[in-house]
Amino acid sequence: MADTTYGSCCIDEVGALHIDSECVVHYGQTCLSPTSVLPAFFVFGKASINVSSCVKHLIDYASKSDKPIMILYGLEYAHVIPQIREELGLSKTDSQLSVANVLCSFISPSKDPRESMEHPRPYSESDSSDSLSSSRSYRLGGLTWDLPEGSKIEDYLLFWIGSDSSAFANVVLTFNGCDIVRYDAEEDSLVTEFYQQRRILKRRYYLVEKAKDANIIGILVGTLGVAGYLHMIHHMQALISAAGKKSYILAMGRPNPAKLANFPECDVFIYISCAQTALLDSKEFMSPVITPFEANLAFSRGSEWTGAYLMHFQDVINSVKSESEAHIGSEEPRFSFFQGGYVEDHKTNDQAKNGEEDTGETMTLVQAAEKALQLRGNDHNSLTKQTAAKSGPEYFLNRVYRGLEINSENTLPEPYIVGRSGKASGYKHE
Amino acid sequence: MSVIAHVDHGKSTLTDSLVAAAGIIAQETAGDVRMTDTRADEAERGITIKSTGISLYYEMTDASLKSFTGARDGNEYLINLIDSPGHVDFSSEVTAALRITDGALVVVDCIEGVCVQTETVLRQSLGERIRPVLTVNKMDRCFLELKVDGEEAYQNFQRVIENANVIMATHEDPLLGDVQVYPEKGTVAFSAGLHGWAFTLTNFAKMYASKFGVSESKMMERLWGENFFDSATRKWTTKTGSPTCKRGFVQFCYEPIKIMINTCMNDQKDKLWPMLEKLGIQMKPDEKELMGKPLMKRVMQAWLPASTALLEMMIFHLPSPYTAQRYRVENLYEGPLDDKYAAAIRNCDPDGPLMLYVSKMIPASDKGRFFAFGRVFSGTVSTGMKVRIMGPNYVPGEKKDLYVKSVQRTVIWMGKKQETVEDVPCGNTVAMVGLDQFITKNGTLTNEKEVDAHPLRAMKFSVSPVVRVAVKCKLASDLPKLVEGLKRLAKSDPMVLCTMEESGEHIVAGAGELHIEICVKDLQDFMGGADIIVSDPVVSLRETVFERSCRTVMSKSPNKHNRLYMEARPMEDGLAEAIDEGRIGPSDDPKIRSKILAEEFGWDKDLAKKIWAFGPDTTGPNMVVDMCKGVQYLNEIKDSVVAGFQWASKEGPLAEENMRGVCYEVCDVVLHADAIHRGCGQMISTARRAIYASQLTAKPRLLEPVYMVEIQAPEGALGGIYSVLNQKRGHVFEEMQRPGTPLYNIKAYLPVVESFGFSGQLRAATSGQAFPQCVFDHWDMMSSDPLETGSQAATLVADIRKRKGLKLQMTPLSDYEDKLGNLLCVIMRNAATGGNLLCVIATG
Repeated sequence: MADTTYGSCCIDEVGALHIDSECVVHYGQTCLSPTSVLPAFFVFGKASINVSSCVKHLIDYASKSDKPIMILYGLEYAHVIPQIREELGLSKTDSQLSVANVLCSFISPSKDPRESMEHPRPYSESDSSDSLSSSRSYRLGGLTWDLPEGSKIEDYLLFWIGSDSSAFANVVLTFNGCDIVRYDAEEDSLVTEFYQQRRILKRRYYLVEKAKDANIIGILVGTLGVAGYLHMIHHMQALISAAGKKSYILAMGRPNPAKLANFPECDVFIYISCAQTALLDSKEFMSPVITPFEANLAFSRGSEWTGAYLMHFQDVINSVKSESEAHIGSEEPRFSFFQGGYVEDHKTNDQAKNGEEDTGETMTLVQAAEKALQLRGNDHNSLTKQTAAKSGPEYFLNRVYRGLEINSENTLPEPYIVGRSGKASGYKHE
Repeated sequence: MSVIAHVDHGKSTLTDSLVAAAGIIAQETAGDVRMTDTRADEAERGITIKSTGISLYYEMTDASLKSFTGARDGNEYLINLIDSPGHVDFSSEVTAALRITDGALVVVDCIEGVCVQTETVLRQSLGERIRPVLTVNKMDRCFLELKVDGEEAYQNFQRVIENANVIMATHEDPLLGDVQVYPEKGTVAFSAGLHGWAFTLTNFAKMYASKFGVSESKMMERLWGENFFDSATRKWTTKTGSPTCKRGFVQFCYEPIKIMINTCMNDQKDKLWPMLEKLGIQMKPDEKELMGKPLMKRVMQAWLPASTALLEMMIFHLPSPYTAQRYRVENLYEGPLDDKYAAAIRNCDPDGPLMLYVSKMIPASDKGRFFAFGRVFSGTVSTGMKVRIMGPNYVPGEKKDLYVKSVQRTVIWMGKKQETVEDVPCGNTVAMVGLDQFITKNGTLTNEKEVDAHPLRAMKFSVSPVVRVAVKCKLASDLPKLVEGLKRLAKSDPMVLCTMEESGEHIVAGAGELHIEICVKDLQDFMGGADIIVSDPVVSLRETVFERSCRTVMSKSPNKHNRLYMEARPMEDGLAEAIDEGRIGPSDDPKIRSKILAEEFGWDKDLAKKIWAFGPDTTGPNMVVDMCKGVQYLNEIKDSVVAGFQWASKEGPLAEENMRGVCYEVCDVVLHADAIHRGCGQMISTARRAIYASQLTAKPRLLEPVYMVEIQAPEGALGGIYSVLNQKRGHVFEEMQRPGTPLYNIKAYLPVVESFGFSGQLRAATSGQAFPQCVFDHWDMMSSDPLETGSQAATLVADIRKRKGLKLQMTPLSDYEDKLGNLLCVIMRNAATGGNLLCVIATG
């Protein structure tokens, strides 16, 4: 059973718990995100592929390039990997060609979110006994692979077998410094041009810069199953309040423009979800939706984007740990590319405020109430918007409409009128 | 004071003479050093790019000050001089210079006369209440190059001065008084910056007054205007009666100089020495050996030193800070004019609270740091002092854009070098170290404790950044360096705009091609070795409509329960400009706004009160107006419609460029009875779609920015100019011969997009005789229809969409507009099964 509210790649743990199940068998597309409560067994499905043609393409391509090749694949093609290995005549010592392994087909939840990452259970068919302890291991979209000591992933040419799915998009984003080739099994052809995907990276960079200017941030709960999601939410909350900004947690299932537009006060949303559904970008969204990794870049001062991109919760949290220790916030205000000048984050303000008063939460209400009781002149027609609101109540104060107006002068009941009838798509009188 | 003029009229050269007089550079090299051009590229190109301050100290003799009528205390004068660039692309530097000075020396080429940039800067300076004095420069050209006779030269000068006065006369200002300049009052000088000599009529009046037995002022009057001297009768008349009659100016000023120059140039030393002796000029022995031009230069420098004439003019006629701040306080201070800060500025009180305006940031020699350069308007700034920095976005009473920091060092700017001083009192320019991390471009400084001070008014620039390039680094890992470089670039130039495109590209926007070129070069320097790739320059366009929507369009909300009926129409002529200028805006009093709209633009009085918003960014030149009658709950969706409008007006439907000059009318609204079904989630995107649909039905058009080009060239070059302009879609709207010169003045409109490489081509076509000055003038509608495939506008739209990474095809109207009574196909994707369920719902 897949998670219908969020994304079909995740396990619907909540749904499974309704029927007191003890284990979930997940069919089809999956992101292999670690679960938090239930053990899960995965059936990847077997997509059809012409193995010999694929191998031929691969060998042709490998002969043209002098880089070692790392073969990655969509999980629906995992079933042919042993066959491909065989046809390639791959020996373990051959460093020119290596194949990634499937992480596992069975996940059991662990209390510590980091544990499941440190001890990945390798896929039963693969032979991992000889993996070197000093090698660097990578994990992405359910695949895992090791690189021998001294080599970097940038030195490799990534060969992806599978369709242009979100798993592949993640690979392109994460390893944006690598050369990547995709073999499309359905079309039986090689795709080498990923202009559109590369463009996404720049676009994400723009969103990060935009998020830096945000005052109110909505944290969208995009999963209730992926291990560590609660930890991530708390981490984001802490991060945002440390940056002197205001956050609200919103749970709305899979976000769409109409749902998000119900919160126009939020300048940016952080979507906390599994790696494969995390990238939400559409012109229809009024405010940008970013991933936790991007939020980290945007809200921790002094962190600069260098091209690295992380998708998994564990990676993000680990990276923050190492970063925050190294970095002590500089005094210099932040330079905003949208306002073309220095912008002071409200950090100092809030710190000062928290010192004098007890908690920010209760005081905002008090202040809001104070403001609401102020004598406001006939400025209802004024078109000026005040400076950007820093919290929800403040935003609402600037709105023109403040609820139904009760006209106290006219006490007589209004005469009743006949309303419309029919359906919204076309009423009867139309 | 600042030195302002058109490009190549000799500001920096003339400034040299003044610097030489203060003993900073040798008199002999004055005119060649260009002390105030501190950058390598300035020297290389021979144009000034950045304005440079220099503080000069002079001691005047008692004799020269005896007729000074103003208040004075001692004979020592400190002049804070700022040399500014003349090229129009850098006129933001002029703005920054004018703000922190009280007087301006306007330099005009005696042959070329008042040019477009002279006019611009003159208007700017008067707007800032800065008193001008004029110098007619390049006098040497009259004598050596053109060899014009006295009367013709006089007519020339007279015309130049008159032209300048015409501009000044349009700026009547009771506080500033009469700002026009008169040679006979000593507010006009005649100079030859290259040779380092200059005179005012005062100089000659002094020489002749005793000879004629009249007062100096009487003599000065005779030396200008319709006063003639008959050498036969030795009498002054006001008519050119007899042939022996000569104009006073020609007889007593022009001719003697002409004789002197000719004598020197012809090396008639036997005649020269007695003449010099008569005038009481001493020459050094080695100087006597000089021949030709160098001899002439030395002789003229000794006889009529430029510094004396100009200094005298400045000291006598330009106001001291004490005088000037009295009337400038209104222009300068944003707060109430009766608080103690206004009073301190008004009185130029060195013991009052500190009020200091930082007008620009100057890159320091150690990489990455900047000096904050500005002027102290009241109080005293000293090393180690703690100051409050109020940035351009500071709102009194709030903590936004406000910092308290200490000044590490105060420095006086001396062109190429700086001198550290303990403190700087009001009235002076100053550079400060240690504040650069808190000031982007400009700001106001006060004492730490002066929490209720308002900031000084921000500067308004006369040019706008319409040319843009995208920059990216060659190596992705250099991105932090690029960001840092852009940050510094934004600081070092008052007007450059460093922004970001939706696609994630970094954009540098400037006034023109030259400006961008300099900015990119600076950026490269700031990045310390990391390579950047610069895209071809592009211009940003605007989207607008040509006529009213052909029908009322309707859009439904996502839940189909709400409907919005809208129409778009073009704004009345001039309305968009009025909004740009700020004459009409969101913060106006609604009564005044509706009065202007009704009287100037023929709006209905009631309608003017129904404007919901301006956009984009709440101040832009588009509006949304409520035309509904008796709609329930309308008030409730206003916020949502406005939010949708702000969004849509920022990214139009054609190429996601800003919209301009469109008025959207909300004609009717049908809303669901339950508030939950007409919330902002439903209405914002609906409003956006309705706006797009109404625009697409109103003959959408693109607007492109257009430069006004002014070219000065001799008759022979006209053919070349016309052919280049024709090639570039430009059209000439004014051609005029400058009276008394062989030069023609051409004014033309030229699309900014065609201006790249324009000046190079023009130079090639006219063998270097024509030099254009381009200023952004207006937005021009492109006549072709962007919706018609294959049209010029459609190709342009496709290009922009490609650049921005959008879908190449525009979203069709049918996606934005909904129709009643149609078959509705709703494809619902069932996420659980992954299958598609097609429902066909018949409606109506």
